Amino acid sequence: MSSRVELINAGLLRSDGRRPYELRTISINFGAQGTADGSVTYSHGLTQVRVSVQGPHEAKPGTRRETFHDRATLNVEVQLAPFGVGERRRRGRGDKRLLELAATIKSTFEPVVQTHLYPRSTIDIFIHVLQLDGGLLPACINASTLALATAGIPLFDFVCAISGGVHGTQPLLDLTTVEENDVPSVVVGVMPRTGRATLVQMETRLHMDRFEDVFRVACDAGKVLWSEMRDALRERTGDLVDKLEAGPGMVAVKETEET
Amino acid sequence: MESIVLPGEQVPAQHVNLKLGPGLLQLSSETQQQAKSAPVIATRSGVLNHSVNKSKWWVEGNSRRYVPAPQESVIGVITGRSGEGWRVDIGSAHPASLDGLAFEGATKRNKPSLKVGSLLYARVSLAHKDMEPELECFDAQTHKADGFGELKDGFVLQCSLQMSRLLLDPKHFLLPLLGSRFALEAAVGMNGKVWVSSKETKHTIAIARCIEAVDPDGGGMDETHVKKFLSKLDI
Amino acid sequence: MRPPSPSIPEKKFLYDALKQSLRLDGRDMLDLRTPTFTFGPELGWVECAMGKTRVIAQLDAKMVKPLPERPFEGIITIHSEISPMASPDYEPGRPSEEEVTLTRMLDKVLRRSDAIDKESLCILAGQRVWQLRLTVHVLADAGNILDCSCLAGIVAFKHFRKPDVEVIGDEVTVVRIEMILLPKLTFFEQHSPSERAPISLAIHHTPFCVTFAFFPDVLTRPVVDPSLLEQRLSAGLVSIAMNAQREICVLHKAGGVPTAPEEVLRLINIASILVKDLDKRVEARLLEDWEGRKVEVR
Repeated sequence: MSSRVELINAGLLRSDGRRPYELRTISINFGAQGTADGSVTYSHGLTQVRVSVQGPHEAKPGTRRETFHDRATLNVEVQLAPFGVGERRRRGRGDKRLLELAATIKSTFEPVVQTHLYPRSTIDIFIHVLQLDGGLLPACINASTLALATAGIPLFDFVCAISGGVHGTQPLLDLTTVEENDVPSVVVGVMPRTGRATLVQMETRLHMDRFEDVFRVACDAGKVLWSEMRDALRERTGDLVDKLEAGPGMVAVKETEET
Repeated sequence: MESIVLPGEQVPAQHVNLKLGPGLLQLSSETQQQAKSAPVIATRSGVLNHSVNKSKWWVEGNSRRYVPAPQESVIGVITGRSGEGWRVDIGSAHPASLDGLAFEGATKRNKPSLKVGSLLYARVSLAHKDMEPELECFDAQTHKADGFGELKDGFVLQCSLQMSRLLLDPKHFLLPLLGSRFALEAAVGMNGKVWVSSKETKHTIAIARCIEAVDPDGGGMDETHVKKFLSKLDI
Repeated sequence: MRPPSPSIPEKKFLYDALKQSLRLDGRDMLDLRTPTFTFGPELGWVECAMGKTRVIAQLDAKMVKPLPERPFEGIITIHSEISPMASPDYEPGRPSEEEVTLTRMLDKVLRRSDAIDKESLCILAGQRVWQLRLTVHVLADAGNILDCSCLAGIVAFKHFRKPDVEVIGDEVTVVRIEMILLPKLTFFEQHSPSERAPISLAIHHTPFCVTFAFFPDVLTRPVVDPSLLEQRLSAGLVSIAMNAQREICVLHKAGGVPTAPEEVLRLINIASILVKDLDKRVEARLLEDWEGRKVEVR
């Protein structure tokens, strides 16, 4: 049952007033969250996820046999807030869709994180989806990249993910839920330094040639996202460095040590 | 003459000095006198064999699971360290242990360096149902390596236990046939693992495919077919 | 227990061989293992074997009440499980990562791709619809169970015939059909076949899944339909489900070695050629089986 919303009007504007290749506003907030080693709240349009990263730490007893003697394992857990998705509904831990999402995120980051530096340990990535309006997987991946980076875990590169779709023959970027329900959608995750794709996912029927169009546009869009993410992270790191150098707290500590 | 026996079937094995091999069991009887003539039954299915003077009997079957027996040579993979030695996976029910000193010329100070994942050709020195099997990589009397030790390069493949016994039979056609085409090295473990190596990758692949094709538990190819098969391969 | 990782010589040998574009089973880098199908006496029962990998798929239909939010659509459920029977690497109990991937992939390839027309499964709107239940059982895992399962699943759908029903008012009567392997009987003389023969499902398109394995060495080209050893030593898999009309139904590449966009497009092209071949083979095999069967109405 397709909705009656006109996805693209005659003036090539989408239902929320965006142009086909226009992305929604991104806001990145690195508020410290409790005991996590790195955390970030990432909102992309009306989609909002919060990710905290803990580790690397020793594997918890019971899961120890799942560790590797030569590298760290990633443990990804995704929770969907019952109030964040259209219809209020609790999803259990065994939900196949969430398990797959977690497995996808895990295997996306495994070759990106330098896991061989931490043998026999675990890095936890906890993802909490607070609000959902399309682009769940890209939001989770972008937020996880940022959270891993703030946690100081060595990465080979960023992973910037974006969703794309095709309406008729017109490629679209960054779909909302309404659009996701109606047009074939693709998720592409790129490593911007090399321009290579580490994640490509599509679940709806689409002709090869149409796929090629949207795939190429999405690869480019990944690089645009990268500049946003990089700026946010640079600002945060700069902030921290400034505080290290000129923070009154540090001086106070030094003085007390001298006396 | 070949005769096939099934578990529970009586075997006409009688001899003053009867020795029973794998797959046979003499039922116990109450009195000593009867003991000698107590019936013998097969416990596994397979082909019944006996020695020329009918004193030794055994059943030759084709299973895939290896049960260690002393003095058999096997191929294993190191899965980890334990104390002074290593733990080795030889495909049996329990991992085998290999002492760090069971090598030619090994001393407390100078032990061979083996990594997790290394491949070994070794001999079972101890096999008891209540204990983990133990391996050694030298001859216990002479302290010489005797061909045992780490296997480097090459490729290891899994075959049925009968296939590995066939390969160990010097009269079997396959290895000489392959050897006449190109130079090769092979080590056959009784646990159904065969290590092969040759100068060229495609030769090694050809050997592996031939062994798989001849395996009675797989292709069961005979000599003429193997020759045809070989001529089709690009070697 | 995690499966023991392959020994160092095995790893080295496989990578070396692949560098020279040689595979251990003698296949080309882009060769599939030829799938073989065995059909059971019932319709919708198929065993698919690719090399030593074997999967059984069985489909049956049952009349149920439709879901209230979709009164005009039939229901398709897919059940799959990887038991320790397939390989000692799998454990019973908590679903393993492979199992989640398999279940989700089957769901996406067979159900969400809209391959089967659900509306044609409706008997009486809001009251009676057909529920198709597909069970996929992995018998042996010798690599790439994903492709084999998807193939078995779609062939089961194509092989299946649903019984004919008669609707008079609110009454639904099933014309009982027994599908058995019979010598060619003279039954068609008594009933006109168009009236009573069981009906095949309305299938819009036939998606097939093709999996590629990547290796850590950048110069090694990906291989298609990886064997067990190749799969274990690979550095990432890409699964592409396509139909013969060159439409991509599912594309799944999660992590693994990063790939240039051109390479992804190249793989899609290769997959489209392989899928065309598969489609022909499946159609031919189904026709062959169907001609050996006769229908009896009781």
